Amino acid sequence: MPEQDDDRLDELLRSMAQDYHLPPEPPREAMWEAIQAQRRWYRRPWAGRRRPLVWAAAAAAVLVAGIGIGRMSVRTEGSQVAGRWEPRSVSTAAYRLTTIDHLSQAEAFLTMFRASARRGGDERLASAAARDLLASNRLLLDSPAADDRRMRLLLEDLELVLAEIAQLSPEPHEKDLKLIEDGIERGSVLPRIRNAVPAGTSPTQGAL
Amino acid sequence: MAGDPSAERALYDAHVGRVFRLAYRMAGDLDRAQDYVQETFIRAFQRLGEFRFESALSTWLCSIAISITLNGLRKTRRSKEREVTLDEAPPIGAVTRDAEPDLKERLARAIDDLPEGYRTVFVMHEVEGYTHDEIADALGVQPGTSKAQLFRARARLREALADFARE
Repeated sequence: MPEQDDDRLDELLRSMAQDYHLPPEPPREAMWEAIQAQRRWYRRPWAGRRRPLVWAAAAAAVLVAGIGIGRMSVRTEGSQVAGRWEPRSVSTAAYRLTTIDHLSQAEAFLTMFRASARRGGDERLASAAARDLLASNRLLLDSPAADDRRMRLLLEDLELVLAEIAQLSPEPHEKDLKLIEDGIERGSVLPRIRNAVPAGTSPTQGAL
Repeated sequence: MAGDPSAERALYDAHVGRVFRLAYRMAGDLDRAQDYVQETFIRAFQRLGEFRFESALSTWLCSIAISITLNGLRKTRRSKEREVTLDEAPPIGAVTRDAEPDLKERLARAIDDLPEGYRTVFVMHEVEGYTHDEIADALGVQPGTSKAQLFRARARLREALADFARE
């Protein structure tokens, strides 16, 4: 008899347990986009590594990218796609492409950072990576890339977010992470980056 | 298949529903479930070349998903434990039954309170319908261990809901 009671109770448990943490419809596309963004980030050659002389390296990277892209632009000037930010010269086009590359990296980084923060992941590497991006961001703010008002405002808002992440302690308090999250949300930083980076135009996209 | 974007997308489309269900059932939180699912597929795509068809692809994905989910939940639990201050912590021995929740709520809490191994097997078997063989493959244990953990999980839940059953 007690066994029959147990069986009946087990049946009841099984039936009621179907409502335990009942899943909603999976946000398939949002997750797929986040997966792609994170994979782009992981493929960065410097991802997850601390490097010395960050400023010098970032300056060199921007310079090299600028020269390379500038040369490329000379060949393809006539075929520039009409964008939201019209280049006035070869050097402006080079800065534009460098900025788009930087924003693509920042987008991938912020997407990954938010996911990691929600998971309670290790933010030490994020802090190091944010310093790298912050260095490039500051160089761009001081360059003709920031002549465009909307771009300057975006880079300024991005700088604030990156600076906050760069200053995170090795074991950040949830309150600090929430402040950063709020900063990203309040300034609509991610949507504005996505808006400024036309799909498929990142110079490094798919190349790494 | 490894490195082929369209094959990766096909794999994702075929399995994301099941992986998401499992992650959500375990996490009970949309943001965390999404994170675990994303991490699962990132890791699966990285390791796709190592997949040797010794188990079903779905079981292989499930083993990655459950490992990431359990690790994530442990980290979250540790982080929450650190945050609970003395003021917030309930006094020892305090009775917290202000209002008797309904049976489903009681059951959900009882499942939440199961030891990790029992809860994992209970959710996978009783809620998501995995077989003991699939659970054993995913968790890297013997099917007998899975059965034993399910038996103990049910016993704990019966015990937790015993007063309801008597009413």
